Amino acid sequence: MISIENTSIGFNTHLISANGICFEKGKVHALMGKNGIGKSAFLRTLSGLIHPLKGSIQIDGKEIMQYKGADLARKISFVNSVQQGVPYLTVDAFLLLARTNYTTIFGKYSDEDFACIREAKSKFKISHLSEKYTDELSSGELQLCAIAKAYVQGTDFILLDEPTSHLDYSNKRKVYELLVEIATNEDKGVLISTHDIDMAFKFPFEYCLLDSNTKEMRWIKSMEDIEIEFNT
Amino acid sequence: MKIVKSGPILFLIAILGIVFLFFFGLISGDVNTSFSDAYNGLFHYSNDDINQVIIREIRFPRNVMAIVAGAGLSVAGMLMQTLFQNPLAGPYVLGINSGSSLLVALGILSGVGFFSTELGLIGSALLGAFVFGLFILFTSSFIKSQISLLLFGVMLGSFVTSIIAILEVTSHAESLKAFTLWSMGSLQGVSTHQIPIIVTVFIIGCVLSFLIVKPLNVLALGEEECRLMGYNIQTLRISIIFVTALFAGTITAYCGPIAFVGLAIPNLTRMLFRTQNHFVLTTANIIFGALFLLTCDILIVQVSGFLIVPINALTSLIGAPFVIYILIRKVR
Repeated sequence: MISIENTSIGFNTHLISANGICFEKGKVHALMGKNGIGKSAFLRTLSGLIHPLKGSIQIDGKEIMQYKGADLARKISFVNSVQQGVPYLTVDAFLLLARTNYTTIFGKYSDEDFACIREAKSKFKISHLSEKYTDELSSGELQLCAIAKAYVQGTDFILLDEPTSHLDYSNKRKVYELLVEIATNEDKGVLISTHDIDMAFKFPFEYCLLDSNTKEMRWIKSMEDIEIEFNT
Repeated sequence: MKIVKSGPILFLIAILGIVFLFFFGLISGDVNTSFSDAYNGLFHYSNDDINQVIIREIRFPRNVMAIVAGAGLSVAGMLMQTLFQNPLAGPYVLGINSGSSLLVALGILSGVGFFSTELGLIGSALLGAFVFGLFILFTSSFIKSQISLLLFGVMLGSFVTSIIAILEVTSHAESLKAFTLWSMGSLQGVSTHQIPIIVTVFIIGCVLSFLIVKPLNVLALGEEECRLMGYNIQTLRISIIFVTALFAGTITAYCGPIAFVGLAIPNLTRMLFRTQNHFVLTTANIIFGALFLLTCDILIVQVSGFLIVPINALTSLIGAPFVIYILIRKVR
């Protein structure tokens, strides 16, 4: 469980505060809010890329700042909203990099690592891309691969910053369905930020609004709660 | 993928090539010697036989140096290219060699006794490389464009060249000669008794490079991914600069600045093996870097009867067109 108390979040300057917010395993949580309200900053804070400005963020009862880098990388994976393909890096090699923390000193992969990426590839239906170079993929394909890579990392929590921004309609649905499936069947906590509000409300997510009036995060239940935010 | 699968064969051919060229380089040259001269020269040395002296004191260190310099500079170039995510990076273009040159020039031309010793020379070359490496690293946090960073390296080089030019004017003839010879770049300046220390430093550098292949693999995805995998990016960056300086500094201390090897070979190996696996790339750079410079040097020896070609001229002749090719193909 990720629990957040009296926390102020932002890139150097305060953007949004969160108090008494908990993210549980087994559920998909959708963060919603206007551009620039602090969704990315929030996800980056949870992933350890930036520090909270003040307050307490605990992951499974331990302060995020107390985690060693590699230990945090076993708890939390993060997918950036923008992905960049790398020349001469195949999709397989790209996915395997998520297993880095489980390999020997020279980075030799085990059969388990290969089994792991095979499973992820069939889940996300990207097996046909295995041997393709990441810089030759379309942005949608690359985004799917990046989500698969976060899954391969085998963490309790998966954070995704606008994971569906480059995906077509059917892939969006597929990713949302998969995230729900992964969360419930494998007891993982999933956090996404999204602007696809209409579609998000069709899935059994928990919805969290980053309110632009109060600069505070709060849980919401239905589409109506969000309309005030986006109609003003 | 075909080439990747034939990787081991490529390695084998390259290694056989190195062994062949190494022995060929031992027995052929201005004075023709036999294979038994080479054998005796290396294992049952007597300094009465002029052929054995030539082999042991001239050709052997020169060949070893070609292997070490080729391999070391190539690995250093690979490290720089991964660190800056820039296919045109390398110890020479980024001005890391200039750091060595500057401190060596200050040492030799100032005529302070300590710097003329071997330890002083290596020490100042290493220090210069490391400090300039850190300087480039620091600058890279402000200069995001790949080309701009290279231009910065080139400017750094020009700046150092002019400082050295001023130093040269004011220095003694003796030290000026010593420095000029050094700055032309040559594999001939090394003598046999220096080989153990050079090889030791080289092996240390190789071991250190292999120890960081895992973070290097992740670094290919970018610094943020590296931090997300739990690596301390600052420690990693400084380690990379340190290993680069170890290679570039030592080699520059003994051979003078050698251009383009560190730029061309890492790109060549990436194209050949089509991978971002740094275990494979490091191995490939060691082997193909050694093969490349050894080939260059033996070519130079073979034509030396009628044409004296400085090693830098040959590496630049091959390297510069290669850089232009990469510029056209790849750089953002």
